[in-house]
Amino acid sequence: MVGLTSAAGLVGFLAEPDPVLQAFALERLNEEIDSVWTEVSGSIGQIEALYEDDTFSHRELAALVLSKVYYQLQEYNESMVFALGAGKYFNLANAGEYEETIVARCIDTYIALSVLDNPAVPLIRQKRSSEFLDKYTQDANAPATATASQTSPILPFSHDSLPSKSLLAQGEEEGDPRHARMLDPHDVGGGHPGGSGAHPNPSTLSGAVKKSLHAIVRRLFESCYDVAAYKQVVGIAVEARNMDVLREAILRSSQDERSKGKKVATGQTDDLMEYVLDICMNVVQERGLRNQILQLILNLLNDIPSPDYFSIARCVVYLNEHGMASKILRELVQKGDGRSLAIAYQLSFDLYENGTQEFLQKVVEELPETEETDKTDLPTMNGNAVRPIVHPNEAATSEESDQLLRELQESSGPPQTIVASRAKPEAGSADDAKAFASVKSILRGTKSIELNVEFLYRSSRTDRAILNKIRDSLEARNSIFHSAITFSNAFMNAGTMIDGWLRDNLEWLQKAVNWSKFTATAALGVIHRGNIGQGQKLLEPYLPKEHPTAGAGSTYSQGGSLYALGLIYANHGTHVLDYLQRQFAATQEEVVQHGGALGLGVAGMATGSEQIYEALKNVLYQDSAINGEAVGLAMGLVMLGTGNLKAVQDMIQYAHDTQHEKIVRGLAMGMALIMYARQENSDQLSNGLLDDPDPALRYGGIMTIALAYCGSGSNKAVRRLLHIAVSDVSDDVRRVAVMSLGFVLFRKPGSVPRMVELLSESYNPHVRYGATMALGIACAGTGLEAAVDLLEPMMKDTVDFVRQGALISLSMILVQQNDAMNPKVTFIRRELQKIIGDRHEDAMAKFGCALALGIIDAGGRNCTISLQTQTGNLNMEAIVGMAVFTQYWYWFPLTHFLSLTFTPTSITGVDQDLEIPSFKFHSNTRPSLFDYPPEQEVKAEEAPEKVKTAVLSTTAQAKRRKLAKARAEGMDVDPTPTTPKADGADAEMKDEDSNVVETGKEEEKKDGDKESSRKKVEKEKVGYDLENMSRVLPGQIKYISFPQDGRYQPVKKPTGGPILLFDTKPGEEKSLVELKAKKKTSPPAPQPTTGRTTANGGPAGASGLGEVLGTGGAAAAVGVLTAVDEDEEGGEEAPVPEEFEVEEDDDDEEMEE
Amino acid sequence: MADKMEVDAVNGEKEAETVGPAPDLPPERVIINNFGLIRQAVNAFDSRFTLRALRSTSTLRKSDNFAEAILQGIRTAFPKPNIGPRKVLEDMLPDSVKSAQHQQNGVASGGKEKDGGDDQQLPEIWAYLGVLVQVYLYDAKEYEDGASFSTNFVEKIRSWNRRTLDPIGAKAYFYYSLFHEQLLPLPPSKQSPVIEIRPKLLAALRSAVLRKDNDTQAAVTVLLLRNYISTADITQADLLVAQTQFPNNATNNQVCRYLYYLGRIRAIQLSYTQAHEHLESATRKSPTNGPAVGFYQQATKLLIVVELLMGDIPDRSLFRQPSLETALYPYFKLVQAVRVGDLQAFLKCVGVNEGQFRKDGTYTLILRLRQNVIKTGVRMLSLSYSRISLRDICTRLSIPSEESAEYITAKAIRDGVIEASLDHANGHLVTTPQRDAYSTTEPSEAFHARISALLGMRDECVMSMRYPMDKHKQEIQEAAKARERERELAKEIVEGEGDVGDDDDGGFEGM
Repeated sequence: MVGLTSAAGLVGFLAEPDPVLQAFALERLNEEIDSVWTEVSGSIGQIEALYEDDTFSHRELAALVLSKVYYQLQEYNESMVFALGAGKYFNLANAGEYEETIVARCIDTYIALSVLDNPAVPLIRQKRSSEFLDKYTQDANAPATATASQTSPILPFSHDSLPSKSLLAQGEEEGDPRHARMLDPHDVGGGHPGGSGAHPNPSTLSGAVKKSLHAIVRRLFESCYDVAAYKQVVGIAVEARNMDVLREAILRSSQDERSKGKKVATGQTDDLMEYVLDICMNVVQERGLRNQILQLILNLLNDIPSPDYFSIARCVVYLNEHGMASKILRELVQKGDGRSLAIAYQLSFDLYENGTQEFLQKVVEELPETEETDKTDLPTMNGNAVRPIVHPNEAATSEESDQLLRELQESSGPPQTIVASRAKPEAGSADDAKAFASVKSILRGTKSIELNVEFLYRSSRTDRAILNKIRDSLEARNSIFHSAITFSNAFMNAGTMIDGWLRDNLEWLQKAVNWSKFTATAALGVIHRGNIGQGQKLLEPYLPKEHPTAGAGSTYSQGGSLYALGLIYANHGTHVLDYLQRQFAATQEEVVQHGGALGLGVAGMATGSEQIYEALKNVLYQDSAINGEAVGLAMGLVMLGTGNLKAVQDMIQYAHDTQHEKIVRGLAMGMALIMYARQENSDQLSNGLLDDPDPALRYGGIMTIALAYCGSGSNKAVRRLLHIAVSDVSDDVRRVAVMSLGFVLFRKPGSVPRMVELLSESYNPHVRYGATMALGIACAGTGLEAAVDLLEPMMKDTVDFVRQGALISLSMILVQQNDAMNPKVTFIRRELQKIIGDRHEDAMAKFGCALALGIIDAGGRNCTISLQTQTGNLNMEAIVGMAVFTQYWYWFPLTHFLSLTFTPTSITGVDQDLEIPSFKFHSNTRPSLFDYPPEQEVKAEEAPEKVKTAVLSTTAQAKRRKLAKARAEGMDVDPTPTTPKADGADAEMKDEDSNVVETGKEEEKKDGDKESSRKKVEKEKVGYDLENMSRVLPGQIKYISFPQDGRYQPVKKPTGGPILLFDTKPGEEKSLVELKAKKKTSPPAPQPTTGRTTANGGPAGASGLGEVLGTGGAAAAVGVLTAVDEDEEGGEEAPVPEEFEVEEDDDDEEMEE
Repeated sequence: MADKMEVDAVNGEKEAETVGPAPDLPPERVIINNFGLIRQAVNAFDSRFTLRALRSTSTLRKSDNFAEAILQGIRTAFPKPNIGPRKVLEDMLPDSVKSAQHQQNGVASGGKEKDGGDDQQLPEIWAYLGVLVQVYLYDAKEYEDGASFSTNFVEKIRSWNRRTLDPIGAKAYFYYSLFHEQLLPLPPSKQSPVIEIRPKLLAALRSAVLRKDNDTQAAVTVLLLRNYISTADITQADLLVAQTQFPNNATNNQVCRYLYYLGRIRAIQLSYTQAHEHLESATRKSPTNGPAVGFYQQATKLLIVVELLMGDIPDRSLFRQPSLETALYPYFKLVQAVRVGDLQAFLKCVGVNEGQFRKDGTYTLILRLRQNVIKTGVRMLSLSYSRISLRDICTRLSIPSEESAEYITAKAIRDGVIEASLDHANGHLVTTPQRDAYSTTEPSEAFHARISALLGMRDECVMSMRYPMDKHKQEIQEAAKARERERELAKEIVEGEGDVGDDDDGGFEGM
C-alpha cells in the first residue's frame, strides 16, 4: 500500500472506544507519521489521554507518536519528554534526524539538571567579602555606596540582573533564578505559534522521566567509551559539573589503555588529561569549578601508575598545593635514577615558571635540609667573578654580601664540571642531598635566570646604529627625549648585561638631570636584569652609602640605583630584600625613598611580606607626594595577588584621607595589584572603587577588574569594561577601561581587534589611545595581522598621544617578527625610523617612537613579550610589568616595568647534572622564516660638529663638578685619571669611539651579507640544525624536534625555556657549552688602575664592546650619574626640567670663570 | 497552471540589470565563469554569489547548444573521464551531443586540463551542473529520466549538509517536484506520483528546519503547498500552513509563491479578505515582466476573481497593462458582466470561457460569483432609484419571481451591500439616502492604510540595503591625507622661519 494520503480516518479511530482499534491506529500513524503529522497534531490531546491511561496496552507507542509529532512541531522539549516515556520504542541505534535531535536535547537537559544538582560552590564564603563591604562603606564615609553597588541600575552586572550567556559562566548563588531562565522554553524551543501547552521545565520533570533520562545519557556514555571517545564524555561532564562522570571517564580511559596493553598507541590517557586540563584552564571561567576539577585531576593523577608529572605540576601551582609539590619532588629525587632526577629538575623549572615567590618559598622550606658539602670548592668552580672584591666602601655591607654570596652558592647548584670524568657514583644520601640542593636552586629561580642571562648575553643582536640614530635625532637636553633614549637603550639591551652604549655616550648621559638621572640609573637595572651574581656589586657606586659622612652623589642616582637593584632581582628578591629594606628605612630623602619603594616592590613581588609592607606603610603615612605614589605601588606589588583584606582597607582609608592625587593614584594601582587574578573575589572592591567620586580611585577600580580577571576572557568583566569605557565622565577612566580589555582578553588575541575596532574610531582621543594599548597588550608578540591593520592608520592620528600609543602597540605586536613571518614589519620599521627623524613630529609621538624602537628589538632581539608562560599559565611577572608600565602615562620611570614582560625565547637543554651539553636539535623550517631581522644600514648622516660643541661644555662641567666634590668630601674616586681625559682627549676620543663602532658595524654588515647570500642558496632546503641554547621563537617551537637517536633525549615535549635532557650514555665524555656570561667580569667600581685602559682599539662586535669599553666607561658613567645636580634645590617638584635651565647653568659657570 | 509556475523558475526579472555574465558570451563560458562565482561563494560563505550564478540559467537554457555547453562544463569541472560524479551527469545528456562534442573536445579539454585539475571538486559545483542537467531534461521533456535522476540527485544533496549548497539544493527540489508533476497520471488524480513524493518533501522540510537551511525550507514548503493543492487536499495544505513557519528571510520569489498559495487556500476556504490580502502582496511582489510574467498573470487572475467575490470591481487600468491584456481578456468580460450585474452576460461569459477558467483553476470560484452578480445588480438599482418595486427588480435582473427578488434584496441589505429597507406591504425597495463619505473616518482610514503600506515598503527597502564594507575607513584615510598635506605646509613654513631662527641663535650666542 502506498503511503497514506490522509490520516483523517486513522485519527478517527483514536476516538473509538475499542483499545484494539486505537492501538491499530497508533501503529499505522507511527509508521506514516512523517507525512501525516499535520493532521495528527490536531488530536494530540486524544493521544495524550491514551498515554496517560494506565490501562491502555500501547501507552509507550502513544508516547512515541506524541514525541514525533512534537518533534515535527519543533517543540523539542516536549518531544524529548515523551520520547523518554516511550521506553523500548525509542531506539537510540536508529541514526535518524529525529533520534539525533532528541539525544541532543537529552544531553542539554541532562547538563541543565546536573548543574541544578551540583550548583557552583562559592570559592570563598560570601561572609568575608560582605564584611569587607561593611568596612568599605564605613571607610568611605558614604553609606550610599553599599546599596548603590548592589542595586545601581547602571551597573550591568549587579548579581541578579546579569543574564548568563554560557553555562560555564554561571554565577555562584544557589537556586539562582538564572537557572530557571536559562531553561526557559522560549529560549530553546523556538516558540512555535501552533504549539501550545505547558513546556516541561527540567527542574520539574517527574522522577521516572529523570530516571530514563539518566539511563539514556548513561547509554550514550557507554557507547562513547566503546569507541574510545572519552573527550566527548569529558566535555559533557565538565559542562554538567559532574565530577563523578569525569572521574569515571578518566579511569575508564586508563583502564582501557592498560587492558589493550601496548597495542594501542599509549598516551591516550595523557592526551585526555591534557585535554581536561586545557578546557579546565581555558574554557572554564569560574574558579570554584576549576579548582574542583583540578583537585579531581590531582587525585586521579596520583592513582594512575605512570603519572604525567607536568600536568600535576600545573594543577599543583594553580591550587597552591605546595605540600603536594614538595612531596612529588621528594619522591622523584629519592627514586634516584637519572630519569626521575631529570623529571624532578624539569618539574622544578616548571614550578618556578608558573609559581609565585611565596609558593616556591614554601616548597623549598618543605624540602629536606641539605648540607652544603661542597661549599668550599664552589667559588673556584664558578670562576672568581662572584668573589667579592672588598672595597673600602663596602666595609659595612661586606658581611651582608658574604651572606648573599653564601646563599648564591648554595643555590647555584652543583659545581660546574668541565672535566666530565668526575666520579659520579657516590653515596645515595649524598647524591640526594646534592639533588635537593639543585632542586632548590631551580625553585629559587637562580638556575633559570642564569640560563636566560647566558642566552641573552651570548646571542644579543642589538643594533647600535638604531640607538645612535635615536640619540642623534632627539635633543637630549629635553628631559622627555632623554628619558626616551634611556628607555630605548634599556629595552634593546634588557637582560643582556651589555651596557657599552651608555658608556660610549657619556656626554649624552651627562645631560641627565633630576629624574632623568633617576631613570638613567634605573636603566642599568633593566640592562643587567637577572645578573644576580654581580648585580649589587655592579650598582655599588651608585647605591646610597652607609656612612652618612660619605653620603655623596645625587639622590636621584641613589634612588635610581635602588630601583635598578630591584629590577635586577625582579621577582627574585631573596638576596636583596634585606638590603633594600635597610636602605629604604635608613634614608629620609624622598627621591631615594621613591627608588627604594619601587625596588622593594619589584624585588619583593608577591612575597606577601608583612615586614616590608609595614615599612612601606610607615613611609606612606609621611604623606609625601614624591614617594607616595611609588610606595602605594610597592605595597600592592608586595601583596600582589594575596587579596589581603587588611592591606586593602588601610589603602582605601589612606586614599580617602590624603590630599595628594599622586598618592591616591599609587594606592589605587596598588589595590588593583593586590587583587591580581582574584577574579570574583575582587568584585566587591572594584564595585566600591568604581562608585567613588574620585576619578583616580575609579581608575583603580578598572585596573582591579583588569588585573583580577586578567587572561580569563570573562564576559562579565568585558561587558563591564565596555560599559565604563563609554559611560564614565573622566577621560582617564575611559582610557584605562578600554586599555584593560587587553588584559582580560590576552589569551584570545584574535577577538580583541574586532572588539576595539569601533572604539579605535571614537571621537575621544583617550578612548582611541586605550584601544591602541588594548591591542598592544592583548596581541603582544603575536604579529596578528588584524591588529596591525587596525593600528597602522592610527600612526597618523591627529592627536599626538594616540600616535604614541599606536607606535608602542605596533612594536609590542611586531616584536621579533621578521619579513618572512609578517611582511608588514619592514614597512613599520621604516616608518618608525622616519618618525624619529621627523623634526616636526610632536614630542609625545617621538617619545612613543623611541620606545617602540626599543621594544621591537627587545633584549637584543631575543625576547618576546608574552603575558602567559609557555605552558599557558598566567605569567604574573609579565602581567604586573605590563600593568605598571601602562602607568608611564603619569610617571615616566615606570616605563622600566615593561622589561618584566620580556621573555627570552630560547631552548636550552640541560642534562641531569644541570650542565649545558653541546648538542644540536632540529628545526623543520626554512632558516629564513624565523631569522633575525636584518641590521640597520649605517648612514653617514651624523652631524659631528654640533655634537662636539654640545659635548665639550657639558662634559667639562660634569668633570669639574665631580672634581670639586671629590676634593671636598675626600671620596675615593681618584680624580687624576678622569681629569685629563675630560680636558683634552674628549672630543678626540669621541671620534675614535664612533670610528670603532662604525668599522665594527661595517664588518658585521659584511658578515651579514655573506650570511644572507649563503642563506639564499640554502633557501630551498627546509629544516636545519640548531645548537643548544639558541633562539627559538614561540611560533617555531612546534617545528622543533630532537634527534631520535641522539645522545640526549628531552623528558617532555619541547617548549621554550630550560628543557631537561636525559643522557642516554651517561658514561661517555660530554662536551659542554662554554658559558660566556659567567666569564664576563663586571666592571668593578672605579679604580685608579683601570681608568686608563679606555677604548683604544679593541675587537669589534656588539658583545665584545661592552667588555672592552666596560671598565673605563663605567667609572665615567658613575661620575656622570652620581654628580649632584646644581639646580637640585629648586627642581624637586618639577620632574621635567626646562631646557633653558641647563643653559642657565652653563652661563653661570661661564660667568664664574 | 504548471507551465506558468514553471516560467518563474529563475529570477528573470533581474537578468536585465545584472552585471554578471554578459549576454554575448558563449554558454559554456558562462557556465565555467559561474564555477568561479560558486567557488567564491563557498570561500566567502556568502550565498549571493551562488544566486548570481543561478540567475544566468534562464538565458543559458534558451541557447541552442545548451546540452553541449553543459557537457563542456562537466568536462571542465571533472577532467578525468571515468569518475563517478562526471558519469552520473553525463549519462543524462543525449548521446548525439556527447559524440559530437568528443572530437572537438579533444582540443578544448586538453587545454583546460590544468585549471580544473583537482579531483576534489566542490560539491556545490557538481550540484550546480546537476541543476543544469535537470533544466535541460525538463526542456527536452524527458520527464521519466528527469524524475529518476532528480530523486537520486536530491538524496545526494541532502546527505551533504552544507550551508553553501542550500540555494542550489532548493532549486534541485524544485525541479524534482516539477518532474513528478509531469508524470502520468497528472495531478488531480489521486494516483498521481506527486503524492508519492510528499513524504520525501516533508522529510526534506524537517531536515531543512533542523539545519536552519532557510532556502530549502522555503522552497520545500512552497512545493508541498503546491503539491497538496494540485490534488485538492486543501485541509492538509491548511494544516501545513498552520503548523509550520515560513522562514522570514526567504527570497522574494519564494515569498511570492507562498503568498499566492496561501491566497488560494484562503479563497477556497471562503475567507476572501485574507485571500485578497495575500494575493495582493503576491502580485505586488512578483515581477511584472520578463520570463516570470506567467506567475504575475496567474496571480492577477485569482486576485480579480477574489476581488469580485468580495464585491469590488477591479480597476479598468489593470486590464490595459501590456503584459496582462491578452491573458486577462476572459476575465475582463467577466468583470464587465459582474460590474453591471448582468446575470445573463455573466452566465454567457462563463459558458464561453469555461475551458480557460478550468485551466486557470478559478472555475469553481467563478461559479460562486453568481450571487455577487445579483448583489451588484441590486446595488446598481439601489443607487439609481430611491424607491423601486420588486417587480421592476425582477424584470431588470431577470429574476423569476418577486419572492426570490424579495429574498435577494433582503439578504443584500443584511450583508450590508446596500443601505435600504424593504416595504413589504407595497412591495418596494426603499433606499436610505446616502451619507457623505467625507463626514466619516473612512477616507482617513483609507489614507492611513496607504501610508502604512508605503512606509512598510520603505522599511523593507532600507533593511535589504547593503552597505559596502569599511567604506568609512576610506573617509578616515582621506582625512589623514589632508592632515599630511597640512603638515607638509606647516613644515615648509617653519623651515622658512627656521633659517631666520638660526641666525637669531647665532646672535644670541655671540652675546
